[in-house]
Amino acid sequence: MGKRQLAMVMDLNKCLGCHTCTVACKQLWTRDEGMEYMWWNTVNTMPGRGTPRDWEQMGGGFREGEAQPGRLPRRAEFGEAWKFDHEGSYYGGQGDASHLGIKGGSPDWGPNWEEDEGGGKYPNSFHFYMPRICNHCTHPACVEACPRGAVEKREEDGIVTVNEDRCRGYRFCQSACPYKKMYFNHQKKVAQKCIFCFPRIEQGVAPACARQCPGRVRFVGYRDDEAAPIYKLVDKWKVALPLHPEYGTEPNVFYVPPVGPVSYGADGDIDESKPRIPDEYLVSLFGPKALDALVTLKAEREKKRTTGASELMDLLIAYEWKNMFGGFDRSPEAVSVIHWRKKS
Amino acid sequence: MKAGFVPGVPLQGLLDAQAPAWRKAPAQVIGLTGTPSALQPTAAVRAEFPDGRIGAVKQVSVSALHNGSELAFRLAWQDASVDTGADGQDDVGFPDAAAILFPGSPGAPLMTMGAPGLPVNAWYWRADEDGRGRQVTAEGLGTTQTVDRDQVHARGRHDNGGWAVVIGRSLRARSAGAVAQLEAGAAASFSVAVWEGSHGERAGIKAIALGPLSGWHELVVDRKA
Repeated sequence: MGKRQLAMVMDLNKCLGCHTCTVACKQLWTRDEGMEYMWWNTVNTMPGRGTPRDWEQMGGGFREGEAQPGRLPRRAEFGEAWKFDHEGSYYGGQGDASHLGIKGGSPDWGPNWEEDEGGGKYPNSFHFYMPRICNHCTHPACVEACPRGAVEKREEDGIVTVNEDRCRGYRFCQSACPYKKMYFNHQKKVAQKCIFCFPRIEQGVAPACARQCPGRVRFVGYRDDEAAPIYKLVDKWKVALPLHPEYGTEPNVFYVPPVGPVSYGADGDIDESKPRIPDEYLVSLFGPKALDALVTLKAEREKKRTTGASELMDLLIAYEWKNMFGGFDRSPEAVSVIHWRKKS
Repeated sequence: MKAGFVPGVPLQGLLDAQAPAWRKAPAQVIGLTGTPSALQPTAAVRAEFPDGRIGAVKQVSVSALHNGSELAFRLAWQDASVDTGADGQDDVGFPDAAAILFPGSPGAPLMTMGAPGLPVNAWYWRADEDGRGRQVTAEGLGTTQTVDRDQVHARGRHDNGGWAVVIGRSLRARSAGAVAQLEAGAAASFSVAVWEGSHGERAGIKAIALGPLSGWHELVVDRKA
């Protein structure tokens, strides 16, 4: 157990699926060779098969403390980065009759391939967005799987990183991670993953995915800082829950489950007694505590509506953007040097 | 087994597994055994590879030659799948590989890849790094490290349903690492490992040659005369 643990809370009631987090991460970290297919941050429309496709069926993690076998995701299951056929459409001799298409074969999967699907049946169809990064777990399956000790959990803040000098591309981390948030660089032949923007963290700057989020979805901070939002949301109000707690890795990314709208009854009237997002679906993602969280969220919403005062709602509304970052609120522009590379 | 003396044939000339010198070199067929699941360093590896799933290649034909200053092993084994680890070939596959292992100091244990203070030295070939071997040392499971990539030379060719790989190095190596120092006219211990990429074999998941000398086989490097 390290000294401290950084954590993130994502409020799924506020995520609008704009992918700004994803693009912020891509711009910063995954533009090098072999990283084309990597999206350390993904946002998926739920319910769905996810990214990589059917990752929840790929195994890994722990059951009653025992490591479970997992399988490697294929690049096609993440979705290959495709190129557009500019030559064929501009210079193919077809004038304006040709439209810009994809070079080579048409892909059948990609990040957030199910963008416009969702679940339920009209008029009770539903969807919500779920961003995912590495969970920087307290009991990280990737760290424990590596036979070379190449995946490390930082003592000072619990961030999980890959030592690329030590990694030999054996990929046991990738099959062991039940969230399939470990990526393999096929050019460099090493594992790569979300680093919780540790070079920014070391300068007091929140991770790019959190700081760039226009929806004020993401809270950042030390897990044990009782004065900061993470502790309040996870431990005090108990409205932020890990995804798939049954995987046994103790994630440090937590989600405020989406309350969603109410249902329409058979007569077309609003049925307040039935949530549009089925309880059992949220329980399948966040465990049975999701129901308690929903009760608290609804009660505090009502309190805020009627009395105007709710600590929980004020926190989630995030009136002051900078207060979401548990002290990691410096601007990257205010920082003279960010050490992008590993300290030697 | 014996490494025969072939004067005047440089290591570069022996790296071709079809080189004429190899035709006259007696080959010994050595049985291979999968490494025990219980000895794998992590629970995830043990869960993915229980006993019975380790060690796809069952035997390897080994011959050895030296020219007085350099030593080469020729390893040949049946393998229908050519796993070169080339990008795009199979993105969840692993490359075939092979290595010769020596004690880096007297008494170094084979089964645990050495031990603290008792290093072992591997000459390593991997299909995706063909031509450029690795000199590796280890002092226990999970501790291998590449000490140089220019002293070990290794080249493989795949035909007739199998690999023929030549791995060689100078008998004496210049290295700060605990690498094997060999000499003509003396005996040494060695072992062989083969990784079958199409079975997901990598790291400690491999087939190894277990010999009569605390697990090691004996190699007699012929006199120069």
